[in-house]
Amino acid sequence: MRALTQWLAGGRGLAATRVAVAAVLAWLIVLPLVGATDSTMFTMTLMFTSVAVAINWNLTGGFTGYVDFGHAVWFGLGAYVTAILMSLQANSLGIGWPPVPAIVVGAVVAGALAGLIGRATMRLRGPYFSIAMLGTFVAVREIVRTWGGLTGGGVGLTLPPYLNRQLFYYVELVLVVGLVALTWWLRRTRFGAALVAIREDELGAQMRGISTTRLKVAVFSFAGASTGLFGGLWAYQNTFVDPDIAFTEVRTIDAIMGTLLGGLGTVAGPVVGSVVLYWLREVLWANLLDYHLVAQGVLLIMVVLLMPRGIVGAFDRRGVSARRLWRFRRRQADDQPEKVTAP
Amino acid sequence: MTALLEAVGVVKRFGGLTAVDGVDIEVAPGEMVGLIGPNGSGKTTLFDCLSGIQSIDGGSVSFDGVDITRRRPHQVARLGMARTFQLIRIYRDLTVLENMELSTQWAGVGLRDLFRRADAATRRKGEDLLEFLMLGPMRDEPAGTLSGGQRRLLEIGMALMSDPRLVLLDEATAGVNPSLVEDIKDRLRAVNSGKGVAFLLVEHNVQFVADLCERVVVLDAGSKLADGTPGQIMDDPAVIEAYFGAAGRARQTNAGDAGGNGTGAGP
Repeated sequence: MRALTQWLAGGRGLAATRVAVAAVLAWLIVLPLVGATDSTMFTMTLMFTSVAVAINWNLTGGFTGYVDFGHAVWFGLGAYVTAILMSLQANSLGIGWPPVPAIVVGAVVAGALAGLIGRATMRLRGPYFSIAMLGTFVAVREIVRTWGGLTGGGVGLTLPPYLNRQLFYYVELVLVVGLVALTWWLRRTRFGAALVAIREDELGAQMRGISTTRLKVAVFSFAGASTGLFGGLWAYQNTFVDPDIAFTEVRTIDAIMGTLLGGLGTVAGPVVGSVVLYWLREVLWANLLDYHLVAQGVLLIMVVLLMPRGIVGAFDRRGVSARRLWRFRRRQADDQPEKVTAP
Repeated sequence: MTALLEAVGVVKRFGGLTAVDGVDIEVAPGEMVGLIGPNGSGKTTLFDCLSGIQSIDGGSVSFDGVDITRRRPHQVARLGMARTFQLIRIYRDLTVLENMELSTQWAGVGLRDLFRRADAATRRKGEDLLEFLMLGPMRDEPAGTLSGGQRRLLEIGMALMSDPRLVLLDEATAGVNPSLVEDIKDRLRAVNSGKGVAFLLVEHNVQFVADLCERVVVLDAGSKLADGTPGQIMDDPAVIEAYFGAAGRARQTNAGDAGGNGTGAGP
């Protein structure tokens, strides 16, 4: 294992990784052209969505150390704003916007609200922040359910159908690849390093001149906008939204599980983890219909216990151990000075 | 001479407890001042008030002529005040060099710089400082693998990365073995005389303070008890009573070798 780790981290391993990434990309690009069915492309598009949400979750949860239990709220908001703008129903605005501006506005609204809410909730640390975001998620879902005049309430909204699976496939592929490139680049900038500093020691980062509030809220807002964008795309493909399918906890849980499985705080982790999780669930579902969620839960427990740095984290020391998700609790115990040697 | 740091009548209360009770403290440019006092006398709380981590309930703090009473920690840091912590605050998952690079001066870092990598000059400065602090060989190791003493050195290095004019050192020698204490002392002195950096240091190691500082301020129960040269402080009966307690009185009768080998406070 150790030999493998070193080989992968070394020059030849890196070249091999590059070839593998290029091969996968090439395969993804030609897949629809060599006769993939609509159903295959739809499945793949849903997988791209879950990869993207996990990447966004990892920006705040993995890099910055703010573990968000309500990330799916931005997905639902993006979906709903898009639906409201595009829908022609009498119980909505009924303005019937074209898809592109509707989806873009959905993302902008999600990002702006993430900025506002993050500004308040990111004053909290550790589990307190996580619970505040869970509360935000539930509150927003119920507001959407209650505000029937705008959102259609529990009945939901129908969007004009446009069922070109191939177009959605390529649009989301490009967006996901862009998102990976963006995190890869961000990780190497001062901004990215400052985010890690916030995760490692926020007060220390402040005392060294980093405006932590501004940076962490900025990245939170960006993640919200990006997840909102994928929410809007999903709503358009799904042609229908209601509060329970647009705002579902499963999306947050999948993002967290995918990121943990792949490697918290790494660039490739959420991608690898989400893909593995996605196909694993298909396999488990096919073979253990009644118990597939139990099996998935057991697997997650095993990951945290046996492989806390995840699949990618085993090769990338920049990753964080899942056991340190809420690391602020451990500070005191960890930083006890060593025993003084008697003079 | 105008003071670099000037705090007047600083008060900090936690509920019914007045942790800092109207303390005046001044540090001139390039001066080395010691801050001593028994455990619980308010030294670290005073540091927190000076560096903007705690908001204060009374008094004012100014740095280099700028009122920083209501400033946030990152704003204070950008003016040129750095500090280290009693419980070490380093970025443990980053390499030693990355810790240094992240601690450069953030004042004037615009949006464009934010989206760039640390430049070669910053890297070189980090490497040079690590050499100076005897951490050169460790520069690519994760900071979490350093020993306690090395972590203290790294934190001092991180404080110096921003070219501060004043460094608040909170127990730089706690948990550090005696030979390394000498090394730390030499390096602080070199930074002070070479670059004119002022230091305000909280210490339990009285010998360390006496060797480094021209002036020592003594806190007791949140108030300033004395302010003078190390010699004056050592001879002050009130200080001996508060700081050394019974042991101090006994020692004073024993041919006056007070603080002979870096005695800590307490029993």
